[in-house]
Amino acid sequence: MALNILVVDDSDTVRAIILKTLKMSGIALNAPLEASNGAEALTVLKEQWVDLVLTDINMPEMGGVELIERMKEDDILKAIPVVVVSTEGSATRIEELKAKGVKAYVRKPFTPEQIREVVDQVLGVSHDGEQ
Amino acid sequence: MTENNKALLSRVFGEVLEQMAFMFADAVDADEPPLPPSSPLLAHMTFRGAMAGRLSLAVTADMCPEIAANLLGTEPEEAADPKVSRDALKELLNVTCGHVLTALAGDQPVFDLTVPQVEELDEELWTAMAAAPETAAMLVDDHPVLLSIELDEKGA
Repeated sequence: MALNILVVDDSDTVRAIILKTLKMSGIALNAPLEASNGAEALTVLKEQWVDLVLTDINMPEMGGVELIERMKEDDILKAIPVVVVSTEGSATRIEELKAKGVKAYVRKPFTPEQIREVVDQVLGVSHDGEQ
Repeated sequence: MTENNKALLSRVFGEVLEQMAFMFADAVDADEPPLPPSSPLLAHMTFRGAMAGRLSLAVTADMCPEIAANLLGTEPEEAADPKVSRDALKELLNVTCGHVLTALAGDQPVFDLTVPQVEELDEELWTAMAAAPETAAMLVDDHPVLLSIELDEKGA
């Protein structure tokens, strides 16, 4: 089964880089889902089924932390796993994010193998995308 | 800024560049700083936390489409759009900054990073940056690259 993964980052180019890496990882994906900030992501999440959210933290209008908090307040959206993709390497920040419900943290730069391992682990799927 | 920190900038940038863009950086002798290219660009961002300061990365404009193409897995002609190539430069600096801060301060402190900015750099400023003792000078596929960190003495 192909996955609906929502990529949230304020840079078109960074979203394209993340989507390219996801495709290279061999994860079966439906049409790419993208948002340039947390507010846009919430709109996408309310309009369409999403299996997983990959989000940056620092974004204009609504950042990743507020997006995570807003999702946790919603009875439906709170079940969707969130993975943070960021450049920061602070263990303290990672623990703070996990306390807010983030399922995993991927530090840039990352390889297709690394993102695949995280997606598989978070969604509990095998390498062919089947549960 | 010590020589060790300058070496740290070169090492971290080289590792990030290799992992992200499959490009390789070679350190340049401090006595022979690279001459200003015809159209240099400067990407810069600030950070605040256990330390505060600014990280600056100067490259040639010609190098940006190559970085973007390698990040996106396309040909340089397909990544020639200035917005795309400048975004790629910003992302390279952003990732470098995260890793430089971890290398300098360890993995416990939390830093607030600003969004990277890119602007054109004139020859005079390139020359001054290249001559500054805290600047790491490198060559990437024959393109000169300068990376420097300025730490705010007042701290965070």
